[in-house]
Amino acid sequence: MIRYIIKRILQMIPVILVTSLLIFWAMGLTGGDPARTKAGEKATEEQVEQIREEMGLNDPFFVRYVNYVKGMVTGDLGESYVTGKDVFKTFMERLPNTLLLGGAAVLVAIIVSIPLGIYTAVNQNTWKDTAGMIFALFGVSMPNFWLGLMLIILFSLKLGIFPSGGKAGWDTLVLPALTVGFGLAALITRTTRSSMLDVIRQDYMTTARAKGVPEKKVIRKHGLKNALIPIITAIGLQMSLVLTGSVLAETVFSWPGIGRLVYDSISKRDIPMVTGSIIMCSVLMCLVNLIVDLVYAFFDPRIKAQYSKKG
Amino acid sequence: MKKLIALLMAVTMVASVFTGCGSSGESSTGADGEGSVKDTLVVGTDADINTLDLQKQNDQINNIILKNTHQQLVFFSNEQTFEPGLATEWEFTDDTHIQFKLRQDVTFNDDAATPMTAEDVKFTLDMAMDTDGGSLVSDALAGMVAVNVIDDYTFEIEIEEYNNEFVQSLASVPLSIQSKKAYDDGVDEPYLIGTGPYVFDEWIEGEYCRLVKSENYWGASASDVPSYMAEGASNAIEFRPYIEASSRVIALQNGEIDVCVNPPINELEYLEEDENITVEEKDGTRLFYFAFNVEKKPWDNQTLRQAVACSIDRDAVLEAAVYGKGQLQTTILNRGLWGFYDDMEGFDYDVERAKSLMEEAGYGGGSADNIVLRTTLTYATSSPYEQIATVIQANLKEIGIEVELKGLEDATLKTECGEGNQELFLWRWNEDSKVDFVYRDLFYTGSPSNYHHYSDKKADELTDIVATEKDEDKRLEAAQELQTYLVDACPQVPLYIANLVIAYNKNLQGQYFYGGGNHYWANAYVTE
Repeated sequence: MIRYIIKRILQMIPVILVTSLLIFWAMGLTGGDPARTKAGEKATEEQVEQIREEMGLNDPFFVRYVNYVKGMVTGDLGESYVTGKDVFKTFMERLPNTLLLGGAAVLVAIIVSIPLGIYTAVNQNTWKDTAGMIFALFGVSMPNFWLGLMLIILFSLKLGIFPSGGKAGWDTLVLPALTVGFGLAALITRTTRSSMLDVIRQDYMTTARAKGVPEKKVIRKHGLKNALIPIITAIGLQMSLVLTGSVLAETVFSWPGIGRLVYDSISKRDIPMVTGSIIMCSVLMCLVNLIVDLVYAFFDPRIKAQYSKKG
Repeated sequence: MKKLIALLMAVTMVASVFTGCGSSGESSTGADGEGSVKDTLVVGTDADINTLDLQKQNDQINNIILKNTHQQLVFFSNEQTFEPGLATEWEFTDDTHIQFKLRQDVTFNDDAATPMTAEDVKFTLDMAMDTDGGSLVSDALAGMVAVNVIDDYTFEIEIEEYNNEFVQSLASVPLSIQSKKAYDDGVDEPYLIGTGPYVFDEWIEGEYCRLVKSENYWGASASDVPSYMAEGASNAIEFRPYIEASSRVIALQNGEIDVCVNPPINELEYLEEDENITVEEKDGTRLFYFAFNVEKKPWDNQTLRQAVACSIDRDAVLEAAVYGKGQLQTTILNRGLWGFYDDMEGFDYDVERAKSLMEEAGYGGGSADNIVLRTTLTYATSSPYEQIATVIQANLKEIGIEVELKGLEDATLKTECGEGNQELFLWRWNEDSKVDFVYRDLFYTGSPSNYHHYSDKKADELTDIVATEKDEDKRLEAAQELQTYLVDACPQVPLYIANLVIAYNKNLQGQYFYGGGNHYWANAYVTE
């Protein structure tokens, strides 16, 4: 198992290298002169040139890239062109906020979607199933910035229960978590339903019922446990997306997370911040995938045995 | 399932109860001794600050915050006048030397309340000129040769040649006086120490920047302190970025913030209906314009430029861009600046005149069905430029010009325009104090921000006269001639000046708004 984890971690290196190369290349295509942006509209060409030299922008592409990778190895992702702050430090300051929002959103999604997925599977082809699937379709189809604004209008403006944005107390987490979580819940509900339907028809379920095991126990212990692998995969995938894809929700709720950091940095042509943040996000994605794979082993002894053989 | 629903409802109800408690606790106010002023003034901004190092930035959002912690030699009022600030008086001893007298009771807001002297002024201005040291504001002191300290409270600035507006440059926030001692002592973030009524407390990027009232503010006990240098009115001021405009509006309606900067125009009606909110509208200074890169053919043709100017329906532009909340403009100078002159003929919307000028320029016979010229309009992909671009595209088609729209992000647009790659473009200029920052920056030969790439000997000469002529009448005459000349030359078609619109808690008092958006919050407070 340990060797498997080490192997997976080592596999992250080429992923990070390719990602950083792509980002470097892509940021060069976007146009705009970071030196001019930093110097301001009124700066003379000499001032801009001086800043360009200081920023290393006059070096050839591969020289800049190699220098960047050298920095990366020592944990130096550069300094923001805009704030002058260390990129890694800024990212790590924002990361807890995104993890908090992502974790809360996934929790909301799990609480809503797994019971609903099981319920719709058990009641397949009834109006209850249809209602559940309409909910899922609604959640998948709805843009989360719209849902966010609607929740703000209802719970903040009309009812005055929750704040409309910012990050102060735990109450500021509720609406963003519901907004992001609702979208996630829709997909997990569909996966849960589909997975449960596969399991429900298995012979061991019939056997359990024939032995007189109560229906709730049959569903929970024999059905759900065997249906969990695709559900965990879906949750893991959603968690990865939440880490990097909550830009709109973070913007609507003024939530100071990574999504907003990347969005702001792109609009300000803050290349070190964008590059560093995306590289860190790709590391996070790899780590989440690794954790999901390890969780498989926890729920499925067959997979654990495979890891042991490999190890 | 029923149990699950019941559980969820119970959790929501409990959460609501606790949240309700939390909310009331958060909005509870700390009395300032009178028991009637809200402890913290919360300003909802449309951007996040990026640095508080005064001379390494020149962004409006940073400057609005720094205005409360730092002070300038000269204070620029919202009546467009320049008043004594840290300097009480100044005079030209000859054409190239200006002598300043400083207030003698000013101290920095550090723990030791270090007195501010002429050495601090010299240190600050020298640092501003040091581009090798990273200063990005040396252009504000263009023409300065040296700062000479005469005694503790007297200093002299030597300039290359006489300039009518040099003293006004000293009202710029990045040139606020900083503590030499703080730098000499190696204080961490020495630029945060100023002489203003507030001190920096905490900045959490993306969340808020908080200032608290200075405990040893010199102006609290000094005599003859002008109102704009009085001690802080609220115990603290918090600037909270709400990038999404609708969220900012709701936060104001919800009482989470006291001021909503730049509320979206299309949501003003909701705010105006709210009895707890005041929506204030006043003349702005931000000029939005349509312009040509006159180095690129065929836009080097003045008559053709004039034809295009006549084809633009600026009323429609104003309506599409800001729902009519602005003033149409003929001249190239920002409204409110010295020498503003808008009585020239200009180019009003007149399609027949436009077609006639097209004919004269060699592009006759054009119409929506007969395209005689194809070009590209470059603009920023944000409001209101997209709306303006669409109107102008339709207008130009009427005279036979097919316009391809090319939206770019701000930074890319500026680079493209600086390098002269664009043909037509949309941009804006916000200046509320110095006319030279309009004439010279936008139209002078070789200026980095002259995106028109316009170069004209007469315009340059007139610009120099406005900057250096001492006779007020001659200077005014030159200013009016220059504006008339530039409007006729038509490197730019001024469109409109957007009104300043700001929404705030109806109990807000002491606010000090500027048409260009550089508001001053130190005197503002909310009564309970």
